[in-house]
Amino acid sequence: MQTAHPFRTLPRRAFLADMGLGFTGLALGAMLQRESRAEETLWIPPDGQPHFAPKAKSVIWLFMNGGVSHLESFDPKPMLNKYAGKTIAETPYASTQSPDKLALARVTVPDANGNQRNELYPLQVGYKPHGQSGMEISDWFPRIARNADRIALVRSMYTTDSNHGAQTQFHSGRHNLDGDFPNLGAWVHYGLGSLNENLPQFISMGAREYWNKRDGHYLGPAHDAVPLRIDPANPLDFGVSERPFSPPAREIGVNLLRQLNNLRGIEYPHDPAMAARIASYELAFRMQTSVPEIVDFSRETEETKSLYGLDQPHCREFAGQLLAARRLVERGVRFIQIQHGGGGAGAWDAHGGLKENHAAQALAVDQPIGALLEDLDRRGMLDETLVVFATEFGRTPGSQGGTGRDHHVFGFSVWMAGGGLKRGFVHGSTDEIGFHAVDNRHYVTDIHATILNQMGLDSRRLEIPGRKRLEIDHGVPIDEIIA
Amino acid sequence: MCLPGWAQTEEHWAFQAPSRPSLPSIARTAWARNPIDTFVSSHHETQGLQPQPEASRLILLRRLYLDLIGVPPGPEEVARIETAPDESWYVGVVKQLLADPRHGERWARHWMDVWRYSDWWGLGDQLRNSQKHIWHWRDWIVESLNASLPYDEMVRLMLAADESHPDDLDKLRATGFLARNWYLFNRHQWLEETVEHVSKGFLGLTIGCAKCHDHKFDPVSQMDFYRMRAVFEPYQVRNDMLPGAADMEIDSIPRAFDGWLDKPTYRFVRGEETNPDQSVVAHPGIPGFLSPPMPTVEPIKLAASAWQPARRPWVQESMLEAARQKVQKATMELTATQGKSTGGDSPMPEAQAELQMAQSLVTWAQAELESLEKRLAASRAQWAMEDRNDATPCDEITVAVQAERRAAVAKSTHQVAEAELRVLRAEPAKRDEMEKQLAAARETLTKTVTASETVVKAGEDFTRLEGARWAATRFDDSTKDDAPVAFPAESSGRRTALAAWITDPRNPLTARVAVNQIWMHHLGAPLVATVFDFGRKGTPPTHPELLDWLATELMTSGWDMKHLHELIVTSATYRMSSSMTGGAANAVKDPDNLQLWRRHPIRLDSEVVRDSVLALSGELAPTRGGPPIPAAAQADSKRRSLYFFHSNNDRNLFLTSFDAAMVKECYRREQSIVPQQALALTNGRLVLDASWKISERLSLTASADAEFVNLAFSVLLGFKPGEAEMKASLEALGAWRALPPEEGRDAASTARSHLIWSLLNHNDFVTLR
Repeated sequence: MQTAHPFRTLPRRAFLADMGLGFTGLALGAMLQRESRAEETLWIPPDGQPHFAPKAKSVIWLFMNGGVSHLESFDPKPMLNKYAGKTIAETPYASTQSPDKLALARVTVPDANGNQRNELYPLQVGYKPHGQSGMEISDWFPRIARNADRIALVRSMYTTDSNHGAQTQFHSGRHNLDGDFPNLGAWVHYGLGSLNENLPQFISMGAREYWNKRDGHYLGPAHDAVPLRIDPANPLDFGVSERPFSPPAREIGVNLLRQLNNLRGIEYPHDPAMAARIASYELAFRMQTSVPEIVDFSRETEETKSLYGLDQPHCREFAGQLLAARRLVERGVRFIQIQHGGGGAGAWDAHGGLKENHAAQALAVDQPIGALLEDLDRRGMLDETLVVFATEFGRTPGSQGGTGRDHHVFGFSVWMAGGGLKRGFVHGSTDEIGFHAVDNRHYVTDIHATILNQMGLDSRRLEIPGRKRLEIDHGVPIDEIIA
Repeated sequence: MCLPGWAQTEEHWAFQAPSRPSLPSIARTAWARNPIDTFVSSHHETQGLQPQPEASRLILLRRLYLDLIGVPPGPEEVARIETAPDESWYVGVVKQLLADPRHGERWARHWMDVWRYSDWWGLGDQLRNSQKHIWHWRDWIVESLNASLPYDEMVRLMLAADESHPDDLDKLRATGFLARNWYLFNRHQWLEETVEHVSKGFLGLTIGCAKCHDHKFDPVSQMDFYRMRAVFEPYQVRNDMLPGAADMEIDSIPRAFDGWLDKPTYRFVRGEETNPDQSVVAHPGIPGFLSPPMPTVEPIKLAASAWQPARRPWVQESMLEAARQKVQKATMELTATQGKSTGGDSPMPEAQAELQMAQSLVTWAQAELESLEKRLAASRAQWAMEDRNDATPCDEITVAVQAERRAAVAKSTHQVAEAELRVLRAEPAKRDEMEKQLAAARETLTKTVTASETVVKAGEDFTRLEGARWAATRFDDSTKDDAPVAFPAESSGRRTALAAWITDPRNPLTARVAVNQIWMHHLGAPLVATVFDFGRKGTPPTHPELLDWLATELMTSGWDMKHLHELIVTSATYRMSSSMTGGAANAVKDPDNLQLWRRHPIRLDSEVVRDSVLALSGELAPTRGGPPIPAAAQADSKRRSLYFFHSNNDRNLFLTSFDAAMVKECYRREQSIVPQQALALTNGRLVLDASWKISERLSLTASADAEFVNLAFSVLLGFKPGEAEMKASLEALGAWRALPPEEGRDAASTARSHLIWSLLNHNDFVTLR
């Protein structure tokens, strides 16, 4: 690498950050474009250092595709049983239907709107208070419930996209109709340097087929998550040779390639793209050995494996992803984004048969998530790791077709654990029938702001010239849940 | 809300029509090859910059091939040019490549980025965005570029071919530009994207910003956004029947038409769809600060066959042919069944039922053919009367209704036969269910027979023939189609007026925006960095006179893009080396090379990376056009990457890792350098397979190792190996030869294929030096 050359074709700090720290590479075109704008010469891209002292080093982002019923998970409402079968208008909560309150939803698909489901549907499962905090959690999540005193629960979330575009909205903070914007993981990746030279710093796992599989958007493809599969033989796209190639022969080829690329510097000196290309190959080669090791669980104890539920068919898949997530965090990976529940618009999308659907989906995630919290804590990692449990929206208090619940943007629950947050704490609430978030309401970007705050990042200092962000894009950290 | 900045915008450079600048006088007249260089040199001279020397022949040849046709020259072409006696080879190659049909494929992809080409996407099988057969538009782009269709004509056809050529399927393909924006659920989203990207793509204006409020930087009011929306308010999408393709689900032409002629456009207060200001109707128009004004909107009367597409001769022929084929197929099946039943190993009743079913199928097919013929006759009679303004019902209608009823009877008869056979074949457990189905089929038959025996009442109509199908939307209810939109006899003329304004030579933006895109692809950097924003917030051009000279040159040449390509690639500016060697003094003065004292190296586009590997291996399929290659067939496909299915949701992994276009917006691609690219090139079967093929191909002419290395560097990387490179390569070949060869190969060919693998992973393989 040319460290002393007089040319500033690339901003030197960014270049160094990308080569030494940022690691997934650099979006050369974007940088050149930015550089060419006279008024922006003062702008300096992130140097990989946090803006202030961080509480958390890594994020494990668990996202339940399709929309978990807040009512049958973390925000149970006895009034639904009391008024079951009544229309909302017949209950003392008729005011929840006032049009000005319902105007919050920005409809993408006609009629996918909670206010049409106004016949209250009783809770499909029981619930109990748990832990010293007495946090009420439904009986479908016993293992998570066992960790109630590790959790900071926010019961007063809202979003605006009444269809599953709310999935991207939860990740980027923007309504689907506004276009594509960088996801939270991409911002973290963009802002923070690497803690491990051998691994990508932003990983995604699980079912992501419903939405556009990119994260970086205007930050560039270098900030897309690298997809990982729990398959030691083939964990990465193009991670193993698709044709026989003996290791010694390959080694000769790799060495020749190194020599030839370097020799090209004689005729083309000071070429940052060449340096970046060489570095990207070195990183790729290191990844090929470091990544399979992540998903090889042979050195985990039997106790750990069964704690996560690797021996249970109903939750094996998610257990593997969560165990891999812990191993990634141990090795310093910054952001691990895991989507649960493929098919259609997401496995949790219980328009009908909610009882069977949610019971089965909960069974697939509950034990691994509970295990993850316990495992992180006993290893002393929970303080520096932020675990997030999120979904795109809640589900309607009213029944859909007699067995299901529809999409519901007006109030739902998200919880986080570790990373310097309060433990065993409930923040915010919805009204008596779980319709509207009423107390301490939070839009999805408040979750982003909280996470960035714990990671030591200020989203305003990450802004890119020419890409003005709105006030609501930044959100506000939820101070009440920060320890 | 008029910001202070607005007052000065009349002076903003991009809002003044470009005038032809005179050529500056320069000192380096020997360097300049054409007027482009005069402008560039003038900046060099005033800023004390020395242009880098011309690149080597091999580099230039590779540049021209990859830039103009998207694949590299083969070994034969490299050899021919290396030994060319004089300079004239260059212009010869330029002319040859611009006439090559692969040129259209290469440059179509650039314009498809800007014009947001996307194959369809949705949820599962449900179409939600774009259109199933949108690829016809892609083929139109390729063909139009190859045929040198002028840029302004392309724009006019994309925006309004349905008004200018309402009956010309070839040209109607162009309106795929509008059909691509089709969105099942939300009209506002659909039209907002249309306004935003017509503005950005053709005009370099961010009018989309004015959806919620007046534009903060440019004099675009919120109302201007809705005036532009009003231009598109009437348009809908339909699919027109192609000759020989009676089933429009399988193939048809997606195209625009004006279906909502009376739909008013209202401004949304703060951009909120739920809050239209119905006190004022927004009339079609453009931001008023731009001159010339938009021409008056004149409604356009359409030929009858355009809005009654069943009148088109090929529609009738296609339907008749399809019906005849069904008769033929059924008859053949009947013959086969008859043959089988005489051979007879199936139990008697079942064989009889099979025969009966085969016979009833023939009867049904014949009845459908007859119904079609009668309905056609009735339609023709009625069209003839309509053309005479005669409204009396004609006898042919009765005949057609009767024929259609007979076809219904034949259909039910066949369904009874089918149900009977199912009963015979049913397992005991399913028997009851099958019996029920049979009873239902018999009931239907009785009904159709009764219906066929009643007298045809006055006003009773037959099922009209369908020569085109409206792309049904679900704006009102996500579970069922909206009320059908008819094809009106006239079109609003709004889009024709807009297209005329956009392509008016006095329009200050259109030609500048287009030449900026063209320049960017040739030179690796645009003259205006903000390629979709020429407004006040955008970046000023690095070479304003050059930009205007190119814009006026494009227009005076009759918007001839090939003329512009030729001018640019034959300039000395284009032919410079990209090396920094000897450029230290320049780099101090102009570190970002804004003044083009050297060439910008370019990371190859994703499609070019893949296509080049296949072309060098001799395997790239020459097939042009047609439906996109589905994801499952891509790994084995040898077609050009342009033809791969590419949508918001489905993209090829290899191409994605090299920054293939994002379909929602891609005015300038990223040129990222990420480890996923290294993995794709080192481990992917594309490169591993091609390494063998390329090695075999080059070995045909290169027997000695040194010769092979020389040729491989020249053809794959565009330079001759230096002493050190030769030494390293020969040593590697020796080391590989000492290893056991790959199965089924000898040590020498294994070694050579490994060398090719290394070179395909060389930085210069994916770089246009």
